[in-house]
Amino acid sequence: MSGSRQRKSDRVGVYICHCGGNISDHVDVEKVRADVERIPGVAVARTNMFMCSDPGQELIIEDLRQGIVDRVVVASCAPSLHEATFRSAIARAGANPYIYEHANIREHVSWVLHGDKATAKAEKLVAAAVGKARLLEPLDPIHVEARRHVTVIGAGIAGMTAARLLADRGLEVVLIEKSPYLGGHAARLDRVAPTGERAADLVSELAEAVLEHAAVTVMTSTRLAGFDGYVGNYDLRVRPVLAGPAEDRNGYVPFHGVVGGNPPELTIKTGAVILATGFRSYRPRRGEYGYGDLAGVVTLPEFIRLFSAAERSGDCLVLDGRTIRSVAMIHCVGSRQIPGIHEEDGDGRLNEYCSRTCCSAVLHAACRIRELFAGTRVHDLYRDIRTYGRGQEELYERASKSGVLFHRFTAEAPPLVEPGDGGETGDFPLRLTVRDGLTFGEEVRMGVDLVVLATGMEAGDIDELVAMMKLPVGTDRFLQEVHPKLAPVETSVAGVFLAGTAQAPMTIGEACNGAAAAAVKAASLLGRGYVELDPFVADVDPALCRGTGDCLQACLADGALEMVEVETEEGAARQARVIAARCLGCGACVAVCPTGAIDLKGWSLKQYEAMVDMIVADIPDNA
Amino acid sequence: MTSGRTITCDALVVGGGIAGLQAALDLADQGFSVVIIESDLSIGGKMIRLSKVFPTLDCSSCITTPKMASAAHHDNITIFTWCELQSLERDNTTVTARVTARPRYVDEEKCIGCRKCEYACPVLVPDPEQGGFSGTKAIRIPFSNAIPQVAALDPEHCMLCGRCARACPTGAVDYLQQPRQFTVTARTAVLATGFEMTSPGDRPQYGNGTIANVITALQMERILAPHGPYNRVLRPMDGMEPDSIAFVQCAGSRDLSMGVPYCSRFCCMYAIKQAMLLSGALPLADIVIYYMDIRAFGKGYEQFYQTAKAMGIQFVKGKVARLQGLEGGTVAVHYEAQEGEGVSVDNHDLVVLSMGVVPHWSPEGICRVSTGADRFIRTVRPSLSPVRTDLEGVFVAGAASGPKDIVDTIAEAGAAAMAASNYLAAVRQQG
Amino acid sequence: MGEAQQPDQAVKEALKRLRQKRQERIREVAEQVKVQKAELKAIREQLAADGEGATPPRLAEGTGIEVSRVMWYLATLKRYGEVVEGAKDGGWFRYRLANNARQSGGEEQ
Ligand SMILES: Cc1cc2nc3c(=O)[nH]c(=O)nc-3n(C[C@H](O)[C@H](O)[C@H](O)COP(=O)(O)OP(=O)(O)OC[C@H]3O[C@@H](n4cnc5c(N)ncnc54)[C@H](O)[C@@H]3O)c2cc1C
Ligand SMILES: Cc1cc2nc3c(=O)[nH]c(=O)nc-3n(C[C@H](O)[C@H](O)[C@H](O)COP(=O)(O)OP(=O)(O)OC[C@H]3O[C@@H](n4cnc5c(N)ncnc54)[C@H](O)[C@@H]3O)c2cc1C
Repeated sequence: MSGSRQRKSDRVGVYICHCGGNISDHVDVEKVRADVERIPGVAVARTNMFMCSDPGQELIIEDLRQGIVDRVVVASCAPSLHEATFRSAIARAGANPYIYEHANIREHVSWVLHGDKATAKAEKLVAAAVGKARLLEPLDPIHVEARRHVTVIGAGIAGMTAARLLADRGLEVVLIEKSPYLGGHAARLDRVAPTGERAADLVSELAEAVLEHAAVTVMTSTRLAGFDGYVGNYDLRVRPVLAGPAEDRNGYVPFHGVVGGNPPELTIKTGAVILATGFRSYRPRRGEYGYGDLAGVVTLPEFIRLFSAAERSGDCLVLDGRTIRSVAMIHCVGSRQIPGIHEEDGDGRLNEYCSRTCCSAVLHAACRIRELFAGTRVHDLYRDIRTYGRGQEELYERASKSGVLFHRFTAEAPPLVEPGDGGETGDFPLRLTVRDGLTFGEEVRMGVDLVVLATGMEAGDIDELVAMMKLPVGTDRFLQEVHPKLAPVETSVAGVFLAGTAQAPMTIGEACNGAAAAAVKAASLLGRGYVELDPFVADVDPALCRGTGDCLQACLADGALEMVEVETEEGAARQARVIAARCLGCGACVAVCPTGAIDLKGWSLKQYEAMVDMIVADIPDNA
Repeated sequence: MTSGRTITCDALVVGGGIAGLQAALDLADQGFSVVIIESDLSIGGKMIRLSKVFPTLDCSSCITTPKMASAAHHDNITIFTWCELQSLERDNTTVTARVTARPRYVDEEKCIGCRKCEYACPVLVPDPEQGGFSGTKAIRIPFSNAIPQVAALDPEHCMLCGRCARACPTGAVDYLQQPRQFTVTARTAVLATGFEMTSPGDRPQYGNGTIANVITALQMERILAPHGPYNRVLRPMDGMEPDSIAFVQCAGSRDLSMGVPYCSRFCCMYAIKQAMLLSGALPLADIVIYYMDIRAFGKGYEQFYQTAKAMGIQFVKGKVARLQGLEGGTVAVHYEAQEGEGVSVDNHDLVVLSMGVVPHWSPEGICRVSTGADRFIRTVRPSLSPVRTDLEGVFVAGAASGPKDIVDTIAEAGAAAMAASNYLAAVRQQG
Repeated sequence: MGEAQQPDQAVKEALKRLRQKRQERIREVAEQVKVQKAELKAIREQLAADGEGATPPRLAEGTGIEVSRVMWYLATLKRYGEVVEGAKDGGWFRYRLANNARQSGGEEQ
């Protein structure tokens, strides 16, 4: 097959990175350079403090331009960080970017080994890369037409924002929402921290924009039933959710959202998908701070709804006919849980993360109570006050000034909520005990009418989507980005992006930023009308294929291989054909082919053999 | 003033930190032409000067350099460094920036970055890129992964001895270089001017910057950086390996009397990060963080904090009242522990101050965008579009509109690029 | 490095004027450089004398230069490859002259 035709390059350039000490503190980079330079096929080996820097890249470009090298090996960090950097440097030198091989001597070597062992392993990895590089062939990226169409799943603040921005940008958008309403959790808020804007206004503004936009199709009470295709060309099957109908009216429905359109059953042909499926509010366990057992213990979302319905007059807040003389608000319920201290949920999980938005939401609620009802006392029980954002510290100040009483507790000694006994704490239905860090750990008891639990955010119930779309999920169960800084809204599924709280707890402003960042990536991806994919896919040698169909059986991707009728010299025959855009490049087909007719471009069996040969070979020692 | 040449583009980005670079890339990838103007000698902003970055502890250079390099090599991006923005005006749908290119005293076109001038120069000056802890030369490449790799001469420290000019193989040194004016016209602009730290110089309680072995967090970043001044953690005063290191949080923030009433947002996390890196470098050292509230709010941040606690880093709830330099370079930290009895004193070998974060740039007299009470650029739709300023067609991203960590900055930069591209699309349609 | 080509008269004149204009500052910097050279010389000699290398306090003692300044010079010399770090000695590291390093004080030799 083609492997036998491969010519071995004897002009491999090896470029070894110090990584500013990250590598060179443990690997004797100069020794690697000197030894590697003597490997057959290596024309030159060089080192640089930061190969990824401009001067580093220049070394490679110069050598290529001068014709000193025609294959490139860079030994540096993980290829996920810089493979693209070096490929584009090679392209700038006028060469084919796929004559490149990467040796990871940081994560695989200097971060885990030290001293001679590290240097020895680095040499092995570089040698193997050289072995492979000698057999590299120029390749062309796979060119796929891309639909200028995006599907956004979830019509909360984030989803609506992404949809609106992409439509304004000139793309067609479908916005899918499983509930009958647009707005998500924001529609269940009253006034939002720290600006004091009405949540209803924010939700309505966005809902109006997407509902009226000619380029946006809104589908409510709709869910995803099937996911197929590849970047630029996804097919989504959607189906109506059989739930109670939306209230029979138009416009904004308090504590629900804005009534959307009607859900048809169809297949959406789209280019990219933005996941804006949001979060789920933590439900306290029964008995957690008395929740579910004691009347007068509510969650923050429940309180917000009660409060919005309350009469705005009188000295004391009155909720559901009950006068609230004193309220205690407890932070970090269902967040910042610590193994060994907090109880795991039914699935053995803990929410170890911070929910980010609750501190400000609680303080905002506390301010509103104090500012409207001077007669209602507010106790705020916290672990750390996290008013980090613009305008949030001011909220904390405002709460202090308005007379909110603060008490600080530790995770080890949470406040205790019990029924009031009419004793020293007075005739209150509830009694709260806390060891208060602000008064030198003194035990403080207080009688209260109401306890508000600042319940955090949890990942939404999207197991079905995760399974269907093969989405990566973090240990915190939120959807996982590729890299928090290099690819913060991208997922490992090409063309599938994250927006808003589906990714992590966020405020409304942050969710909008996340949504806009996802939108800009989708716009860049689809803007040209085509996308280019790496060419590392299966390749059938027609001279060898006997059409057994074994490869189709083994194929892990849906529809990446098909059998076709071809004319050969001996007449009509059946042979396998690769649909490049769908191929994962996994190699499962290569392993089962009885005639060795199928191989991976850029990762051929010959290349694996060459790598193994180099790993077991002795490396000439220069020392 | 002579107006010089005019460069026309779709989008102007002011500031080449991570916010400006990301915004520029997200615009350029859509086919828009972008000009970045940067006031420093190199792009990269604060991030390129950091050691490793929370919460993943990736080496900061490794994450910043690819973005710097892709911006520098992008067909649709033109970068001007060492520039001063004189004015930024908006008229109808045109944004006009008048810019002064400051003299480097080195011809950018001719310099090949070989550093021969730097080796030849006889004048040692404290290197601001190494926290002042090591010397550099009066003519130099600013730092190893700077972009562009062009030398610059600091006239304040130049004797005009001519050695650099003689050493230069391409005749790039030009002592007579003058400032040049140029104009950039664009349809839209993104302000990504970032932040600065307050200085301990006017904080009597911290010794006004005169106590040996009291350093700032940015200086600690350099000490921890792989290519830092010592390549290991040493006390700057005498090179001793410190056994006990303290971090003073909110050393310039959350206190009106210090001029910064707001929270500087990322100091808790970088202190925890630095503490972790220190405990890796000096496994036996005692590390204490004095804090008011630990604000570990981002994705994975609380877990990062809990890991630090588990590593044995001590967290002491309390406000530091005063620092005092003792014999032999020891620093006494006087603090009010929240769970203690009055003022306590503990001695440390090295103390790191988390100073307050303030805007790097003030638009006053240059651009009509307004600022908030905190002097950062005001945003008019903080909930639905936090990148909008009160000047139509002018957007803001990153720390320019308030302290923000890298993750939040990068997301916001993408958002600014999205807003700017939609604005561009709209004005194009108008004509 | 060979002598660069002869700058023309106008440039010479301009440089002369510039020198004139910066006279004061040039004098100050030259003064500083003189001190730096003397201190560097003392440190180099001390380093050469302590073959095994010396700690910063030891160098400070031997040269009479303040220890924080010694540290600054050491970091600088290390950066330009003239000094290398040696073995640990108590809480400090020793520093010694690198073999065949060129001097970074700018002397053209
Ligand atoms: C008690 C509380 C108080 C808060 N207070 C404030 C505040 O004062 N200020 C502030 O800025 N932020 C506040 N927040 C945070 C704010 O609510 C969120 O930032 C915002 O709602 C996030 O919007 P989102 O679009 O990311 O997610 P969501 O609002 O959760 O929207 C997700 C949407 O996706 C839909 N969906 C989910 N799964 C699917 C699926 N499989 N198919 C189709 N659709 C799906 C959901 O039905 C929902 O409509 C608060 C949060 C809470 C819990
Ligand atoms: C000690 C320390 C440690 C940190 N560690 C971390 C960490 O581990 N992880 C993390 O996520 N974050 C960390 N941060 C925060 C991080 O530095 C910021 O999130 C990030 O730098 C913000 O980027 P920016 O581009 O908005 O601003 P900057 O980095 O400040 O960049 C702004 C750029 O604009 C330029 N500029 C300013 N004004 C003008 C003008 N008028 N004209 C032209 N150019 C101009 C500046 O020169 C600069 O290059 C740390 C911060 C500090 C201080």
